[in-house]
Amino acid sequence: MRIRMVGLGVRLTILAAFAIFFIAPVLWLVLAPTKSDHALITSNPFAFGDFHNVALAWKHLDAFSSHIFRRWVGNTLFYAVSATAITLVAGVPAGYGLAIGRFPGRKLVLSLTLVVMIVPGAALVLPIFLELNAVHLIGSSLSVILPFSFFPFGVYLAYLYYATALPPSLLDAARVDGCGELQTFLRVALPLAKPIVALVFFFSFVADWNNFFLPYVVLADSNQYPITVGLWDLLSSTPSFNPAVGGGGQSVKIFKPELALATLIAVVPVAIVFLFSQRALVRGLVGGAVKE
Amino acid sequence: MARVEFDDVSKVFADGTRAVDRLDLQITDGEFMVLVGPSGCGKTTALRMVAGLEDISDGVVRIGERVVNDLTPKRRDIAMVFQSYALYPHLSVRDNIAFPLKIAKVSKDEIGRRVAEAARILDLEPYLKRKPRALSGGQRQRVAMGRAIVRQPAVFLMDEPLSNLDAKLRVQMRADIKKIQSKLGVTSIYVTHDQVEAMTMGDRVAVMRKGELQQVAPPQELYDRPVNLFVAGFIGSPAMNMLEARVERAGGGVAVVLGDARLELSDHPWLAPYDGQPVVLGIRPEDMEDAAIAGDDGSPRLRGRVELREALGADVLVHFAVAARSAVTEDVRELAEDVGDDRLRSEDAGTATLVGRFSPRTRVLEGDNVEVSVDRNALHFFDPQTGLAIRGS
Repeated sequence: MRIRMVGLGVRLTILAAFAIFFIAPVLWLVLAPTKSDHALITSNPFAFGDFHNVALAWKHLDAFSSHIFRRWVGNTLFYAVSATAITLVAGVPAGYGLAIGRFPGRKLVLSLTLVVMIVPGAALVLPIFLELNAVHLIGSSLSVILPFSFFPFGVYLAYLYYATALPPSLLDAARVDGCGELQTFLRVALPLAKPIVALVFFFSFVADWNNFFLPYVVLADSNQYPITVGLWDLLSSTPSFNPAVGGGGQSVKIFKPELALATLIAVVPVAIVFLFSQRALVRGLVGGAVKE
Repeated sequence: MARVEFDDVSKVFADGTRAVDRLDLQITDGEFMVLVGPSGCGKTTALRMVAGLEDISDGVVRIGERVVNDLTPKRRDIAMVFQSYALYPHLSVRDNIAFPLKIAKVSKDEIGRRVAEAARILDLEPYLKRKPRALSGGQRQRVAMGRAIVRQPAVFLMDEPLSNLDAKLRVQMRADIKKIQSKLGVTSIYVTHDQVEAMTMGDRVAVMRKGELQQVAPPQELYDRPVNLFVAGFIGSPAMNMLEARVERAGGGVAVVLGDARLELSDHPWLAPYDGQPVVLGIRPEDMEDAAIAGDDGSPRLRGRVELREALGADVLVHFAVAARSAVTEDVRELAEDVGDDRLRSEDAGTATLVGRFSPRTRVLEGDNVEVSVDRNALHFFDPQTGLAIRGS
């Protein structure tokens, strides 16, 4: 009994230590906009400041470069939603085709999909830049959306789902019931793949939302920045991070609380998407289709 | 309604497996044809070729007067019930049944009428709003039937539709399917590996083995006059007893010698050409009786020792060993493996275990010596080399 209690104590201690390690910075970030820049350094790191400071931080943030922060959030939404839409429209049918189709080159395409999946995105930025430059797209929204919509992981997820979880007899039944190949996909295969559509949507959206390097390279105008590049712009405009812009009568009032607030706002859409996707993910839609 | 015709049809898969080999089979308008055979005999492949779910490597499949080889499933005017039911899990029972009609762009009123009719026939009215996952196995099976009959197709195709049901439900659904088919009069092809289903449901039964059609005939004919060892062994439960025997001329007739027993046969002149040659003797369990009950009717006798007695109520299955050798041809061995019959394995050289279906009045017990009366007019003979039946006319 005594040994069991000691064991439990050790386990709880280890778990608590890790929890504190990971939760502390998040808590600090959530509390940061409630404090003034000075109080952030001097007061208890986990003390709550004042809602007035949050309003003030937002005022400063919103005033930065004529409401450019709102534009960045809007840009990011536009890029991520557009690219995710293309990903879903192209990726899910592609995975379906690879799973149920029997055509020459299928295995090669599957292998290539896997290979491209494991290549770091940053490694492709330079060739993509050169390609976009060759077709005169540098600086346009398409220079972000098109590369974002190339999402082999989504194709592979859809492929895995259709190859393993969808009973082939359902597709046969649809064909016998009068569906052509397109109808079979739209009326049977697609509705059954809601969990996988939600999963691909989530991963694609988050990847697009968080991508920094590609838009940083291909976009020159700060009005076109997504939030990730915008945060970098904010950082470089903050006196404590970039002394070159600090003090000296500058009108830029971006300090640490403003940065913390910007970061929090940048995270909110991803959290919302996660909540909605998660609901669809846990549903087992194929139950009862065929005899288990 | 339509007839279905396989004309020299073969199916060779990409890996070279010949699943169906030169199948010739005509299914007449309104007929209930059962394709039966052990696993891998090609029956499901043949069915899927009619459905258009499998390409035809060679030959011609006709539905009605049309050659359908290159038609997609939707243009063949067929409906199919799958072994796994294949219900659309995201649709309600009503929408599952209505699905093929919606695809065919039938009017809403007509869809409503036909779905209601199918639900009434299949006793599904209380479940129309449920999703398939909320149904029992039997109910799901009926929904799959409903989806097939609602289309009023020219041909029903059924791929082992009862194999996932429990034994009791299977018996009930067997009768239901047969009744519905008779009522609708739709040409039907039914695939099963269960010979009881085949015998009870089919107007005719086609027995297949290794992609080849062995025999097609009405169930009773298949049972009474099997064309070869395979059909003889496959149809009937318990299976036909098969023994090595030798034909000898005896007086005006012939005799069949098996081990130390000798069965005198006066009415089998067509066996005379086999004088001195080995044959396989087949005896159905019900063509044997405890001699103590049969009385002295002049029937030939076998003597053996009772190894097992299984009382079934209406009759008693008696397993008894005789001094003879089981016929172990390739057909017999394959059949024994397919049905899990271990009689071949458990035998000593020189003795064979037979199964007799005796009257429940029999008093034989395990360990007893028993004298068994054999119905000489019901014996089957096969050529051990070719496996083909040897019979008069």
